[in-house]
Amino acid sequence: MMQNKLSFHQSSTSLEIIGLPDYSNNENKDQISIISQWKLTIIDKPLIEGKIEHLGPIMNAFYIYSNLLIKNKMPIYESKLIDIKADNLYIHNIVLKSSKPNVKPLVLKIGNSLLSDTINCFDQLNDSPNVRIRKTDVSNYIPKKGRFGLNKKVKFFNFFIPPFIAICSLILFSSSFIYFYSPFENIEIKKRLNPE
Amino acid sequence: MLTLETIDLNGIQSFYALSNRLNLNNVIPNKVTFWKLRNNNPLRKSYVTNNIKLNEFDALIRITVEMSKYLYPYIREILKSKEDIKANSVIWNDFNKRFIELIKERFNIDSLRVKKILNQAENEEIIIKSLLILSFCISNQGYQKLKNFLYDF
Repeated sequence: MMQNKLSFHQSSTSLEIIGLPDYSNNENKDQISIISQWKLTIIDKPLIEGKIEHLGPIMNAFYIYSNLLIKNKMPIYESKLIDIKADNLYIHNIVLKSSKPNVKPLVLKIGNSLLSDTINCFDQLNDSPNVRIRKTDVSNYIPKKGRFGLNKKVKFFNFFIPPFIAICSLILFSSSFIYFYSPFENIEIKKRLNPE
Repeated sequence: MLTLETIDLNGIQSFYALSNRLNLNNVIPNKVTFWKLRNNNPLRKSYVTNNIKLNEFDALIRITVEMSKYLYPYIREILKSKEDIKANSVIWNDFNKRFIELIKERFNIDSLRVKKILNQAENEEIIIKSLLILSFCISNQGYQKLKNFLYDF
């Protein structure tokens, strides 16, 4: 059976997805739902290819790393399959570990331009209506630190501001009814009542 | 947006043309509205607290994403020039020079944060991160991505 092949290109990077449609699900013949192979080609770098179970974690690694890169000076992402570490602000070190024994890890150095090309290839794959993969929700990923910070700020205001405003308005309102005891005024009244 | 304007010399006109193409005329009917919205940035010389509305904020994000798509080849080239500064120093230096000129022209240079951006030794990280954010947001999900990046900033 002829396999379908789809390519996603962005400048110096291209991602190729090979697979078959899921006919049991009445899918179009151009669709790819059963991915058998994928290849990531970066110009002047060794070819990266693997099984379908590796594609998701690698895409996630790139997405998480790109988010960390925006937040931190020296981001690091480490997993069983892939490590990505920043050499400096412009160069990133990628270590791809093979699942097969006695195979040396593949080490790549890519710059910011190739990193953004790769991310955009993955984005195109995620957007493509012709490939059905478990869509990663990483593109909407907000680093935990940031999310926590945002919630903490909102919680802080929600918790303290309403009682603070309530107390202030109570003080202001009650201050208009305040009565200061004046001893002189009291003596005058007493004198008027008892003129003796 | 200032980063994009550094690349596109006719940036303001392009932003406005894009807002028309994206059917955002009801939110941004003219260039003055555009200018007013951008003046919500406290770092600007002409900072005014207009209390930007959510739909106006969304419109600015949509225009930024659309503009980044068009300017991606240039953004990429600027990022690349910094990777091999000996070979491509001209591109980076030109970009940095024009960026600083725009900052001086429009931002309050007495502010400490603006001083940090103007300092060539310190502004590299800010510029590279801004360019990276724009380059990561050129897909169809770019709008949501850029929004997340901005909320997290």
